[in-house]
Amino acid sequence: MTLRVTDHPILGKLEKKKAVTFTFNDKQYTGYEDESLAAALLANEIRTLRHHEESGSSRGIYCNIGHCFECRVSINGKQGVRACLTPLKGNMIVESHGKLPTPVRDWRSSDE
Amino acid sequence: MRESEMIICRCEEVTYQELLDTAITYSCSARELKLRTRAGMGYCGGRTCRSIVDQVAKQVGSEQSKKNISLKYQAPIRPVNFVDLGGEGK
Repeated sequence: MTLRVTDHPILGKLEKKKAVTFTFNDKQYTGYEDESLAAALLANEIRTLRHHEESGSSRGIYCNIGHCFECRVSINGKQGVRACLTPLKGNMIVESHGKLPTPVRDWRSSDE
Repeated sequence: MRESEMIICRCEEVTYQELLDTAITYSCSARELKLRTRAGMGYCGGRTCRSIVDQVAKQVGSEQSKKNISLKYQAPIRPVNFVDLGGEGK
């Protein structure tokens, strides 16, 4: 939990919360219960939450208020769940979406 | 990073240059610009880039495109899982 801010100048000390473990892409991580999944992953220095379906470029937290869907991951098998809005629960299984096999846009050059 | 390389639509990775070129060559309205470049058709439903695509079409497009209506909010306004549609969602 190296990146976690434990003593915020304004918000003060981080009050003690229950630590829970969860897996992200088959690796074990720990975070505090009911904190946002995106924050828990960030505290574990994971910024790339998924890869773009078309270009494979790595994507992560952008708006962090559930507006832009950049942080969508699949949680316990359910796809397209926004990590920044989901409270962390014990042994959650989180997987990131990756690049899709067939591109959508390859028709453009011939079509234009 | 030059202005032209700036990504306007994150979901479809459409750059400002692409929008400009398409709007100029086809002098399109906002809707046509969206149809041609896919900007605004991504997973987030245009939340990030709708207004910018509108602006580009309005400023660059022809006189006629200035009177055109701006991009609308296409249903479903939030991504919906087929699981939930199918009914056995939670």
